[in-house]
Amino acid sequence: MAYLTQPNYVKYACSCGLLKPITKMYFCRHCLKLRCGYCVCHEVDSHYCSNCLENLPSAEARLKKYRCANCYDCPHCFHTLSIRATSVTRNSEDGSKTASKLYYLACFFCRWTSRDVGIPDQASATGRWPERENENSETIASLIEYFKVLALKERIDKEKIFHTPRRNFSHFSKLGMTAALVRKRSGLPSLPLGRDADLTSLPTIVPSVASETVEPLPAEMFTTAPDLTKVTTLSQRFSQPDIQPELTSEMWPIHKHLFIKRSQRCRECEHNVYKPEYNPISIRFKIQLAAFYHIPEITLLSIGELKAGVPSEIVVRLCNPTQHLTSVDFRPLPSAMEEDLLWERQVQLCEERERKDSQRTSLTPGSLNTSLGSSLTLPASLTRQLTLYEPPRRVRLDVSSSVQLPSCGIVLPPRDDAAEYDDSAEKHNFQDDPEVVVWRKSNKAAVKFSITPDKTLASNEEVKCGFVLGYGYVNTMAALEGHKEPQRVELQVKVLLSLGTVVSDE
Amino acid sequence: MNKLKIASSAVVCVESKLKGTVSVGSMTVIHPKASVIAEAGPIIIGENNIIEEQVVIMHRLKDGEEWDESRVLKIGSNNVFEVGCVVNASAIGDHNVIEAKSYVGEGIEITNGCIIGAGCQLTVPEKLQDNSVFSGSSCSLSIAPDRPPAQTLQLEFLSKVLPNYHHLKKVKKPEQVN
Ligand SMILES: [Zn+2]
Ligand SMILES: [Zn+2]
Ligand SMILES: [Zn+2]
Ligand SMILES: [Zn+2]
Repeated sequence: MAYLTQPNYVKYACSCGLLKPITKMYFCRHCLKLRCGYCVCHEVDSHYCSNCLENLPSAEARLKKYRCANCYDCPHCFHTLSIRATSVTRNSEDGSKTASKLYYLACFFCRWTSRDVGIPDQASATGRWPERENENSETIASLIEYFKVLALKERIDKEKIFHTPRRNFSHFSKLGMTAALVRKRSGLPSLPLGRDADLTSLPTIVPSVASETVEPLPAEMFTTAPDLTKVTTLSQRFSQPDIQPELTSEMWPIHKHLFIKRSQRCRECEHNVYKPEYNPISIRFKIQLAAFYHIPEITLLSIGELKAGVPSEIVVRLCNPTQHLTSVDFRPLPSAMEEDLLWERQVQLCEERERKDSQRTSLTPGSLNTSLGSSLTLPASLTRQLTLYEPPRRVRLDVSSSVQLPSCGIVLPPRDDAAEYDDSAEKHNFQDDPEVVVWRKSNKAAVKFSITPDKTLASNEEVKCGFVLGYGYVNTMAALEGHKEPQRVELQVKVLLSLGTVVSDE
Repeated sequence: MNKLKIASSAVVCVESKLKGTVSVGSMTVIHPKASVIAEAGPIIIGENNIIEEQVVIMHRLKDGEEWDESRVLKIGSNNVFEVGCVVNASAIGDHNVIEAKSYVGEGIEITNGCIIGAGCQLTVPEKLQDNSVFSGSSCSLSIAPDRPPAQTLQLEFLSKVLPNYHHLKKVKKPEQVN
């Protein structure tokens, strides 16, 4: 797992045009494209507390302002607070002594305790700790109420203007979703529906009044040296926006933020590429289409001395992670002109398909996007008939060397976990060109080729080379969906290698 | 000049390194591979201290100075020196916790109830305020209202367990050690 700590020497071009290491990418098995964190839809599956692992439904989480009711963070260093017990002996009225336990919150990192700020010890460990009342809570609540009604009013006004003639055919209803459902899915609070709500009168709010007079600074400000240990830092103040304590004695335990489990969906075909199990205790996944399970992995093994204009030999290791035999080949990167042509053709193709689709459903993906906002994702079952075609993006590969790639393809056998332990490893009868394949072992092969750093490179400038890796992929999804035999497809991915810096001639 | 004085109830493992004139108070536990090095003058360690593995307590000789019997580094009682900390302090009071892998530079006077957080590096010579707490990578300082509790249970446990698995340095009377 060296690549977890290494800088990213080998990068693959994602379908969105970004360059990423293979460990940060997904592979959609339905549209056979590489996906990265930037070109998938992120959805919140569940909210949970990272400390007590309580799982909260999203409505309840929203109600609790996405914070855990029982767990706290240290207001001083933001580490999780722990509950500590002290035993005290109390003198009862009849003179006998009874031992009881009292609990307080303590930070094991910076040693802050709830006693520091005078929060009384609690008799039960699980009990609620005293909450501080926010003096502005009423104002905030009335403002929220006001703007909720205002937003609803404005939206209904808007609908009246634009959609009155065909209100029943709004985009939402076509997708089988009501406005309320859309609100719910996008995480907005539900509103009293439509025409029944009283919209003629907005709730009254008291506007803030600016005042001319500013309280003068206390005299101590000028006479005594500031004690920095008693003043909070900015990050400590921002962590409690409702109180914003200026003195450390006013700090209060912070309710712990909830964490989320999220699933990620391919933007084009709406299938999940990554879905964790709901249970916060589980670290397993229902779906995890990580790219390194599906496309050949490239690792740099050795790099010759890099001198500007002088050919040098590099060895890379190719690894086939799939259960199927695959073959890989290397092609040079397309020139800028070729790429432009290719790109234009793909954009045309994409538009054509879009047009065909929109004729069929008389709804263009574009309007779907604008009306629902790009952050909103629809459940696949509702939109199966509707595919979003993304225009392809151009990939910027800044290479600073030319590559003499091996002309022949290389066959990689399927992954066999048992082979690792089998010393009498079977001899493959691959007709390898010894000039190309340095060695091979089960599903891996080391491949040699030579690169020439550009003549113009000064010393210490980075040498990068790139190529197009073609690989065979067996699409088992087609078989699962009941079509026919697993399909074999030829796919391509652009790869950029960072080889290091040029050494000077001396 | 190398006089070692160890109170009878103290637990000092033979694998620890005590150099120079060092006096160890009663109930103090010194783990294997801890070093207490008295270069500039004697080190007097008080009672109920825990000095864990790989701790270095130095009474460092400055350039041009010589051993001075009257230049004493006094370490008070109930201090905990956690694994791997390096302490060059000029004085140490009572009830301090020097956490793991922290560093206390020369000329720093540790008073009472101070906590030097894990990995904190203190290098500016100064006298620390009582109950100072340093924590985090930026050594942020706060003042605790109380000193940390004494590690009585841990001390009892260690002085029971350590002799079962380690040979102890036992010096009844002050004696000459080479
Ligand atoms: Zn992407
Ligand atoms: Zn919790
Ligand atoms: Zn803390
Ligand atoms: Zn897809």
